[in-house]
Formats: sequence, C-alpha cells, structure tokens
Amino acid sequence: MSLRVRVEAPGAPSVDSVIDAADIVIGRAAKPPGLLVADSSVSRQHARMVTRDGGWWIEALSPTNPTFVNRFPIDAPREVVAGDVVQMGQASIHILGAPGDSADRAESAVGASASSPEDARQAARLRTLNEVHRALATAISLTGLLDLILERCFDVLRPEEGIILLRNQAGDLVPAASRQGKAVGGNVFVSRRIIDEVAGKGRSALVVDAAIDERFSGSESIIFSGVRSVLAAPLNDAEGIIGMIALSSRAAVRQFSQHDLEMLESLASAAALRVRNVALAEEAAERKVLERELALAHDMQMSMLPRHLPDRPEIDLAASLTPARSVGGDLYDFVLTGDRLWFIVGDVSGKGVAASLYMAVTKTLFRATVQIDGIDLAEALGRMNRELCRDNDQMIFVTALVGHLTLSTGQVALADAGHNPAVLISPDGALSQVAIPKAIAFGVLEEAQFTEGRFTLLQNATLLLFTDGATDARNPAGDIFGEAALDAAITAAPKGTSAALVAGIITAVEQFSAGAPPEDDLTLLALRYRGDDPS
Amino acid sequence: MQISNTKQGVVVIVAPVGRIDSTTSPALEAHLQSLARAGEHRVVIDFSGVDYISSAGLRVMLTLAKRTKEARGKVALAGLGDSVRQVFELAGFLPLFSVEATAEMAAAKVSAA
Repeated sequence: MSLRVRVEAPGAPSVDSVIDAADIVIGRAAKPPGLLVADSSVSRQHARMVTRDGGWWIEALSPTNPTFVNRFPIDAPREVVAGDVVQMGQASIHILGAPGDSADRAESAVGASASSPEDARQAARLRTLNEVHRALATAISLTGLLDLILERCFDVLRPEEGIILLRNQAGDLVPAASRQGKAVGGNVFVSRRIIDEVAGKGRSALVVDAAIDERFSGSESIIFSGVRSVLAAPLNDAEGIIGMIALSSRAAVRQFSQHDLEMLESLASAAALRVRNVALAEEAAERKVLERELALAHDMQMSMLPRHLPDRPEIDLAASLTPARSVGGDLYDFVLTGDRLWFIVGDVSGKGVAASLYMAVTKTLFRATVQIDGIDLAEALGRMNRELCRDNDQMIFVTALVGHLTLSTGQVALADAGHNPAVLISPDGALSQVAIPKAIAFGVLEEAQFTEGRFTLLQNATLLLFTDGATDARNPAGDIFGEAALDAAITAAPKGTSAALVAGIITAVEQFSAGAPPEDDLTLLALRYRGDDPS
Repeated sequence: MQISNTKQGVVVIVAPVGRIDSTTSPALEAHLQSLARAGEHRVVIDFSGVDYISSAGLRVMLTLAKRTKEARGKVALAGLGDSVRQVFELAGFLPLFSVEATAEMAAAKVSAA
C-alpha cells in the first residue's frame, strides 16, 4: 500500500513523492525509504508515518518541535487521509492519497493555488482512465467490450461518430463496432489513408480540419462523410497492432485538440489489452464449439453403424471401426436381400461434421440402392456416384468397395470406387489381393463407370475389406505400417473366427502405432464363408 | 511442409516438400488459392519432394483441377514417387490429371496452348 504526498517548503519547488514502505521517518535527515523534508525549521527526525488497518497514521517524534495536522498539533498517533495537510516547521506535507485512484481528491486537496490547467486536465484524464479500466473489466463479450469502449469515448471526447476496426484472421482491418450521435445518419467510414497512417504505422492521428490537412488533402471523401475533425489511435498490444479506433465530428460542431488525442491514446491502450484478452477467450469458446461439433460428428458416425450384423449360418461376419480423434468418415454396412448379402466399406475424404454427413448420405444411398429389385452391382455404384456428385462444391469424395455374396453358393460380385483392394484369405491361409477393375472414387465424375469383378469364396475362405487407416497407420518415428505388415498381422492373427482376425489386426496396428494418435479411421470387415455345411 | 514456387514463362511450378496430409493440406490449399486469385491458372505440381499424400491432399488436387478447368487453365503433375502415384491410382484419380515424369516436361505440356 502506498501513499502519494506533496512536500512544500519555503524557497523550494514542491516535490511529489510516493511513500511505499509501511513505516517511515519524516525529517531533515530522513534516509530512503523515509521522506526527506529539506528545511532548517524541520527536525532531523520530525515525525513517523505507519500503515495500520488499511490507513495511514502519523506520529510526532520530536518532543520540542511539534507536528500539526490541519493546523492542530498532535500528541498521539493520528490517522491522515487525502486532503489532510501535515505541517512541520515552515514546511507542509499535503496528503494526496493512493497513487492513481484518487486524483480527483488530490485535486481538491491541493487546491486551486497549486494546480495548473495542465494538472487539472491530467487529473481528469487519470480519473476517466481509471473509470474506463474498471468498466472494461466487466465486459465479457467482444461486442459488448467494443460498444463500451465507444460509449466511454463518446462520454469523454464527445465526437459525433466513432468506429473501431479490428484485424481479422486474414490480417485485414474490418469494422468491428461503430457508434453515432443523434444528429448524424448514414454509415460510419474511415478513409484508407487514415487506416494506413494509424494501423499501418502505429501512429495516432489528429486531423483538425481534414479538408486542409495536407496529409489527407486530395483524398476522396476523406474520412467520415462530411466531417472535418478526426481523432484516430492504434490499438496496440505486445503482439502488435490489433486494430484502431477513430472518432470524428463536423468541425463546426467540435474540433479535437492535441489533448483529446492524448486522451484517446490512453483510452486505446487501456482498451487494447482487454480486446486481446476477450478475443482470446472467445476463440477458446469457439474451439470448444468445434470440439463439440467433432464429438457430435463422432456420435453421428457411430450411431450410423449397424448395431447387429446379419446372423446367418453360412457366414461368419465381423466388422470394426476405430475412429481417429479428428473424425474422418469411414463407414461399413450390410443389407440382406433374400439369398444375397450386400456389403460396403467406405472412406469419406475430409474431416468433421461435413464428412460425417457425407458418410450418412453414402450409407443411406447404399441401403436404398441395393434394395431396388434386381439391381445389378455396377448399376448400383453408378447411381450412388451420380447422387454423390450432385452439389458437391466441397469436392468431398468417397472411396468404397461395394459387393454382394450369394449365401447359397459363395459367389461374390465386388466393385471398386477408388478404394484399397480387398485381401482374400484362402482356407489354407494364403493371402492374395482381390483383382477387380479399378474405378474412380464416388463424388468426382458424374459420368464415371463402374465394373464388377466376380469370384467364388471357397468354404472357410475369408474376404477382408479395410480402409487406409490400417495400412497408413504411423508410429511415433513416422514409419508407415504398410501392406506387408498388414499381411503379417493377418497371418499372425488367431485362426478360426472373423472376430479373432479383426481383433488381431487391430492389436497389431495399435502395437505398431505405440501411442501415436491415429490420423485416420481404421475400419475392418471380415467375411468368412462357411458354406452350407457349417462346421 | 514447405512449399516453393517457381515461375517459368506462363507456368507456375509449385513444389511442396514433405507430407501432404490432413494437417498440412490446408496450407497447400491456401497457397494454391492465392495463386488462383493472382490469375495463375497454368500450374504444375512437382511431387518430387513429397513422400506421402493422404485423401485430404487428393481433395486439394481435385479442387485445383476443378478451379483450373473453370478458369480455362491447365494443370499437370510431375515427379510422382511410387507411393504417391499409388494413392492417386487407388482413388482412380490418375486419368483426371496430366502426369509427367519431370517438372520441366509438365511445364512444357501446360504452357502449350
């Protein structure tokens, strides 16, 4: 706790001091942190000041040379407050109060005799700034804060119009708030030149009469429409210029002065830090919204997955989708139509809600299309693609393998839309890539053609479909899992069931990744054909 | 990822270096967009410094192809390593692009009227 005092002694200029220590000596021979009063009428150690209970107390130290407070000699410690005058010998000490918060009281304490017009102005400025500072601390939204800053500027500087420009993420200055007095209409503009001068160079600007100021003469429709007097100051903080504030009036109504400019500069620097803080807080809130969106997308994706796999004696089916933290848009699904089991594994490019929506659309299209009576596989893909191409401005695409298995015979038709090839695991464990004609991913070319490949699953052969989350998984060193490692994982997985195969591959990928966060969803679909003789 | 730009006659050769994945592709997309805004519609993407491209990177290439086509410009790819080529091939995207062995050959192709 500190206290501002003004020491006046005959024949010497008055000296303002701030007392910082809790217990100090005042006198002719006082040493720091004591208060030196250099007058021969004052004792070497004349009095003592201490803080107690949040106040300042004075105590006389000299038995022969009295200390007066407001002209009364004191014989016991006495509290002093702003406005009190302590007298010792020919010298007097004016108590001004705590630095900063009591400039107004200081003003009245010192009285008109000690105060110049400049002092009065400085005091008023301090008072306003303190008030603004306190007010700004209450604003919680950026919009509210900017409005408050303009409101205070109007109170103090009485312009007709005011505007605050802030830098957006692209670095351009854009209007963020504006305010107009009652008598003014139309939009609030700031000239490019003022912006360059103030926000570009970080200099405040005072234009007493824009029409004759040479910096701005010749510039079109100078500043605000029909205005002659402009004040502008940059909003500066440690990281640079985050924006600017400009006030204006018709000169006939109000002309700004250098003092007004200083006032605006002070206001702007008080505002800048607050603006940055509030903007950061809002950014954090936006990030939270984004995280919520991602969580929503994730929930949506997971809720779209089939809850129950078709349970038929001819097949042993297992599927798994491990989502990456930033949700991609993998999908898988099955539809049973009579003797035919349709299946799809897909990967939507892009992340977040848009990708999840696309995933949902793809899945819905799949379900609708394959249930069209007697539809051929290639035609089903063509229809899905045409739908996914519609209004696809974002160029989101979906890679997929779509196929069907005839349960009674083991015959498979499989068609590609830009997806990783499937792996066939023969009954004796040999691996091979399923060679089918390649085609482009869904959503790119409306006229794209798709061609099916056909093959037959032997009893106890397994068809494995996956997304690139399996092959592209990376470890912390940045190495990629790759196809060879996938083959090894398939071979090493416990034999017998599709579920064991899927679990074995997931374990191998997780072990390889060693905690590195997955960049992409990992989807696996294993379809083991048991035929009509389940064993 | 670093991106370098070389202007060769009427062609801009853009050479990203590193991985083009969901983390880095927004920077590449922004770079290509700024070229488009500057009226550069004859573009070669030199992949010789790229060792990996994900589907997010493919999307950037699709967007580039679409934008260039709308502006009646041309785009060609060059220097595709095996793994990058495989990603384009798997997605069925190779037929969409003019692909050349080197950036110089691609630039010659793109600058031809």
